[in-house]
Amino acid sequence: MSHILTLLVAVPMLGALAILFMPRQNVKLLRNFSVGIMLVEFVVSLALLWDPTTQTRVSYAASGFMFVENYSWVESLGISYKVGIDGISLWLILLTTALTPIALFASWQSIDTKIKEFALAFLLLEVGMLGAFVALDLFLFYVFWELMLVPMYLIIGIWGGKDRVYAAVKFFIYTMVGSVLMLIAILYIVAQYKGVSGHYSFDIVQLTRLSLPRTSQFILFAAFGLAFAIKVPMFPFHTWLPDAHVQAPTGGSVILAAVLLKLGCYGFLRFAMPLFPVAAFESAPTLAVFAVIGIIYGAFCAWRQQDVKKLVAYSSVSHLGFVMLGLFSGTTQGISGAILQMVSHGISTGALFLLVGVIYERRHTRDLDAFGGLAKVMPIYTVLFIIVTMSSIGLPGTNGFIGEFMILSSTFSSPVMPFARSFALFAATGVILAAVYMLHAVLKMFWGPVSKKENEHLPDLTRREAYVLAPLILFVFWIGLFPNTFLKPMEPAVERYVAAYVARHTEASDVATLSPDPAAPPGSGEHAENAPTDGPPEARAARGAQ
Amino acid sequence: MHSDFFSFGFDPGRLLLWIVLLPLFGSIINGLAGKFASRKMVSAVAVGSVALAFGLAIACFVKLTMLRHAAGEEGEHARILYTAYEWFSVSVGNVNVPIFVRFVMDPLSGVMALVITGIGLLIHIYATSYMSEEPAYYRFFCYLNLFMASMLILVLSSNMALMFVGWEGVGLCSYLLIGFWWENPTYAAAGKKAFVVNRIGDFGVLIGMFLLVYATQSFEFDAIRHGAANLSGATELAIGGMAQADHHSINVSMATVACLFLFLGCAGKSAQIPLYVWLPDAMAGPTPVSALIHAATMVTAGVYLIVRLSPVFVMSPVAMSVIAIIGASTALLAATIALVQNQMKKILAYSTVSQLGFMFAAVGVGAFSGGFFHVFTHAFFKACLFLGAGSVMHAVHAHGDADIRELGGMKKFMPRTRMTFLISCLAIAGFPLTSGFFSKDDILLGAAFVGTGAWADYPSWVGWLVLVMLVIAATMTAFYMFRLYFLTFEGDFRGAHGEQHAAAPPAPSHPGVEGAAETHALEASTDAHAVAHDAHGHDAHDDHAHGHDAHGHGGLPHESNGAITWPLMILAFGALAVGFLGLPHWAHLPNIWEHWLEPVSARLPGVETEASAGLGGTMMLIGTLAGLTGIAIAYRWYMMQAGETPAALAARFPRLQAFLMDKWRVDELYARIIIKPAEWLSNFSSEFDKVAVDGGLTKLPAFAAQAGSWAFTRLQNGLVYSYGAVMVAGIVAITFWYLIPHPNLQSAVQGADVKYVAATGYGYEYRWDVDLEPGFETNWDTNTHEMTASFERAARNRGAAVMNGRPGSPPPVIQLRHGELYAFNPRDFATTEWMKPNTDGTPPAMTWQDGKLLIRVNDAEVRQDGLPTTTPTISLAPGESVTIGGRLIRAAGVMRGTVEVRNVFGYVSRESVEVTIENAMPQAAPRGAEAHADLRGGL
Repeated sequence: MSHILTLLVAVPMLGALAILFMPRQNVKLLRNFSVGIMLVEFVVSLALLWDPTTQTRVSYAASGFMFVENYSWVESLGISYKVGIDGISLWLILLTTALTPIALFASWQSIDTKIKEFALAFLLLEVGMLGAFVALDLFLFYVFWELMLVPMYLIIGIWGGKDRVYAAVKFFIYTMVGSVLMLIAILYIVAQYKGVSGHYSFDIVQLTRLSLPRTSQFILFAAFGLAFAIKVPMFPFHTWLPDAHVQAPTGGSVILAAVLLKLGCYGFLRFAMPLFPVAAFESAPTLAVFAVIGIIYGAFCAWRQQDVKKLVAYSSVSHLGFVMLGLFSGTTQGISGAILQMVSHGISTGALFLLVGVIYERRHTRDLDAFGGLAKVMPIYTVLFIIVTMSSIGLPGTNGFIGEFMILSSTFSSPVMPFARSFALFAATGVILAAVYMLHAVLKMFWGPVSKKENEHLPDLTRREAYVLAPLILFVFWIGLFPNTFLKPMEPAVERYVAAYVARHTEASDVATLSPDPAAPPGSGEHAENAPTDGPPEARAARGAQ
Repeated sequence: MHSDFFSFGFDPGRLLLWIVLLPLFGSIINGLAGKFASRKMVSAVAVGSVALAFGLAIACFVKLTMLRHAAGEEGEHARILYTAYEWFSVSVGNVNVPIFVRFVMDPLSGVMALVITGIGLLIHIYATSYMSEEPAYYRFFCYLNLFMASMLILVLSSNMALMFVGWEGVGLCSYLLIGFWWENPTYAAAGKKAFVVNRIGDFGVLIGMFLLVYATQSFEFDAIRHGAANLSGATELAIGGMAQADHHSINVSMATVACLFLFLGCAGKSAQIPLYVWLPDAMAGPTPVSALIHAATMVTAGVYLIVRLSPVFVMSPVAMSVIAIIGASTALLAATIALVQNQMKKILAYSTVSQLGFMFAAVGVGAFSGGFFHVFTHAFFKACLFLGAGSVMHAVHAHGDADIRELGGMKKFMPRTRMTFLISCLAIAGFPLTSGFFSKDDILLGAAFVGTGAWADYPSWVGWLVLVMLVIAATMTAFYMFRLYFLTFEGDFRGAHGEQHAAAPPAPSHPGVEGAAETHALEASTDAHAVAHDAHGHDAHDDHAHGHDAHGHGGLPHESNGAITWPLMILAFGALAVGFLGLPHWAHLPNIWEHWLEPVSARLPGVETEASAGLGGTMMLIGTLAGLTGIAIAYRWYMMQAGETPAALAARFPRLQAFLMDKWRVDELYARIIIKPAEWLSNFSSEFDKVAVDGGLTKLPAFAAQAGSWAFTRLQNGLVYSYGAVMVAGIVAITFWYLIPHPNLQSAVQGADVKYVAATGYGYEYRWDVDLEPGFETNWDTNTHEMTASFERAARNRGAAVMNGRPGSPPPVIQLRHGELYAFNPRDFATTEWMKPNTDGTPPAMTWQDGKLLIRVNDAEVRQDGLPTTTPTISLAPGESVTIGGRLIRAAGVMRGTVEVRNVFGYVSRESVEVTIENAMPQAAPRGAEAHADLRGGL
């Protein structure tokens, strides 16, 4: 049994521990060490793709979770340290390990106070994000989910802009409200599980076997859904996002947009939808309405923003509407497209925030009217900005297109979602609106004469900034041209997921029941050799008796 | 990579890939390294890559003809196919449909590839000279090569998804090249406008594509073409996901919907009503761009797509009619605008819009081969016209565009440009035996052909309407093209502006001088047109900021150099000669073009005949006359009269003149009806987000929490008397609660009984009345908080008629005591039969007697259990029903329970609950199980 996932969570945590013992005066050490440890982390995460011991590529074709580790934690309550990944979480983990060092490295250009704390916060943030992506135990997931909140709260609140405290508190409370409801829901499910099986378990694989009554499903799905919808954020729970983005330092914005929001989508995919398939299935059209509203509304809001960061933040609302639409489409490629779109959005919006950070450091403003004609003074910057813009508006050949196209066309012909074609039709207008607001920003920033004196001698991208952006640009084209590199590994997991999800969407009984076949639950089948000998013997006997 | 890449005949498919890759690599090389390379290197890479691609395209084309000949009868399906790799897949229903990066050369894409690479090569060569003074020379060629690659992907892709890459790719290049001189905000805005308008079209392409893929489960053009039969005009698909509810589905055939959405895309790309507005503005780009992208290639992509999918389009005569009418309207509208414009490129731009309208009119009337032939011929003469205009502007150092009122007599200075321009004008005017003559006649004939009703499904009036509009447009075309020609090349040079400018450049910009930034943009934009400096031995200057300072002589216009004139001459030759590929079939001449395109252009369903020689000859005559008339009027007005008539006309109809000059004020209209509302919506959204969404979901709860916390802090004031007051209030409240008993009466049906339950409380005593008769049956008792009543007994005394109400509203219930008579009144029923005049003078009525509902019907149309009944009085037991006058009436039992509760203080509370049991009389059910009775309880 490989311990790679534990290693992934441990490396940044140990790094954070080491940082604690470093002198705060040694800024260089702190900076280099924190980025270094994240690069190590990235290298470690590559082992998820390529197995160094056997010298082969890791195949994600097998059914069930990979790299599973399962240790009992609180035995009496059935809480365990259970981690594992599949093709769905794989790319989100790699996105996290790849973007965190980039974001931190970019931050070191502008963050010059409380270096030690910043490094600490960033490392802990990485622990939280990775932990949430690998956790297969609801309790463990909840711990990491909440853990993530604190460093981000600090990053916004301490190193943020003018109204940082307002934004940080808003971010914290808004997300916390959702999380608390989710916690109650988690406890309720576990109690139900105990009622049927005779023992406690927080194991998502076990819990997915539970069929709850329809009404309970709806209530619980609402509690989970609210927590995740706030994180995504779905319309109308998005208003914390522009504030958080505007106030957060560049690195914080990058991580927020690239990874944290994805945890909301991931939560729907991994927990809310498989746990409550009936409720998810039946509320899919309603949620799709909100997703489509988000696409159009986010775009309209983005168009009017004067602050570039706010514009990008609203564009995230619009883009994540696509992701949610794909998730609810209930089709294999719709969901694959949604996952790819999560990664793509992480890359292009991450890059956009980095680019906005670059100009902010030079001009100390993000007001669109403060720029104009930058193409003349900063040609390389302009080229990169336009490439990323094109990726953001989904130009074919870039990463943005693939996910959007898969989502739209798969939703259009979705056999399971009512009104699917209307949703796709309205969502597709987002394609037009994206061009409107992004090109509006490009026009104001780059074209025309250099109208402001302050802009006349702005330096172009430094080597350091170019290094930070280069890998993102590479992936813009890699995903755009060869998306199958990313889609093929996730395909088996998504196919199983969809098959199980669609199969179980009518499966609600008057009382909670346990599905007799432990291999059936969506996305949660397991290798036989990894199957934990969970629960006391009498529990198994009880299950056998059904 | 592989040694067999260029070994022809080995795998021609690989060559297809390289046709696309070469310009792409050229673009990447120039984009990355062009800044550091010399202009010669940049030109070599750019021109070289296109030249190689042209060579490969010829090779593939030759191979394709060989394949077709070799295959004989089967030659229809000859094609060269190359699959590079699987790109990604999408779900269509439950099926995974893979999308391949796959290129195909068939008769259609073969011709397009030749046109794109061939004319592209000429324009590249032209641009090496034309743009030679441009500081961002490498950037220009980077974009131009990228455009070539995108356009080749567009035409060579074998499936719609890959085509969309090219489709949007050319849009991007168009954006970049229109805004090439981005320092001028107008130019940059024109680029943005082009991109956004094109995106509106792309939305249509996406939806159209999804519809076709939904039906055929494939992105491949071949599969869609073959699957066109699946798209029969049936109403199987309702747009908008309403297929579930059939009665709500829109009764439009899928083919029509798909074709109209696709046409929206074509209208965007090919500048048709209502999306044509970007093309005239696109002339902000450098002239070679106007020639290549906005005349010869990109803008014809819409026509290409329709021809490519022609089997789908012919299924929907409705969509075809729409396309034909819009095409003809565009042709006419743009021609009227072109009549009065004075800028060379503006005239040519509207002429392009107009000619594209001709092409769409052609495919709209089913003349696919003819429409595409016009694409082909138009590529030659329009590219030649644009390049010729560029050559003229170049010669007079015009800014961005040249005003024809300030030209004239150019034939003296630039004979080659003049000859090629004249030839192209003749071609576009449809002068006999030029290329435009043949292609335009094909179109007119196509319109006349469906006008004669040859295609039974197609409305013939559309054919005639289109024909008339096109003939008028053709006359105007000939007129404004020759107006342009005569004013530019004939007469005397009126180059006041040109010379004045050359002698005294306006506001030369110097660094630091106020306003430098403003003039700078113009300087940069004009620089490219000042190419002549270099070609004529003036000092080359690096710093383009003072480009025009160095140009301080008043030289006369002059012929351009070879890099410019040779492409012109080749194109002019094409404009003369290529028409002979499409000689009219009706005259029994070999129509190579039509034969070549036979495999790709769909036949009109049910059309067996061909246009007769008589019709063909007539159309040719009309077309020729239209062209000659236009030329003659232009000659008379501008050569013989020096423009008095047009001036007089303009003076006489100033408003019409202004209206045409302002391009029908369509831009202003759009600004008002689309852009302004959209901006308003955007402002509204952003304010709404701040006030309503953020306010409602975060500020309001936050305020509530604060208010609550404020209130609670107020309570903790530390004042003993206030604590005492609260305590007293609490005690009073608790006492009050205990003082008054709370029955909280509930009821439930249990078997044949109804069970009433009152709340228990300390010291409560109960007495009950559950039999609907006055008076309590039980005496005060502490143990009887539950009471059961037999339904059957109770229902004897009281009942109800439950009537079938209007859908969506609860059924009206009329309660009746024993023996109580209820006379119906008209408001009770929507139907009239029930209220027929009474036969015996007694109003229709009902009553409740001994547990039965009795209804006297008075001749109403009554159905009891589905059968008509003649019984004058209907008797219904609870649960039974009858339909009277279309209205269902059900008898139901009503029960009422009342309880009085007394507590130890002697206070008494009373509560009643009423139960209507609509279903059959409940039977004693098995123990423990609840009877499924529909309960309607109420106080």
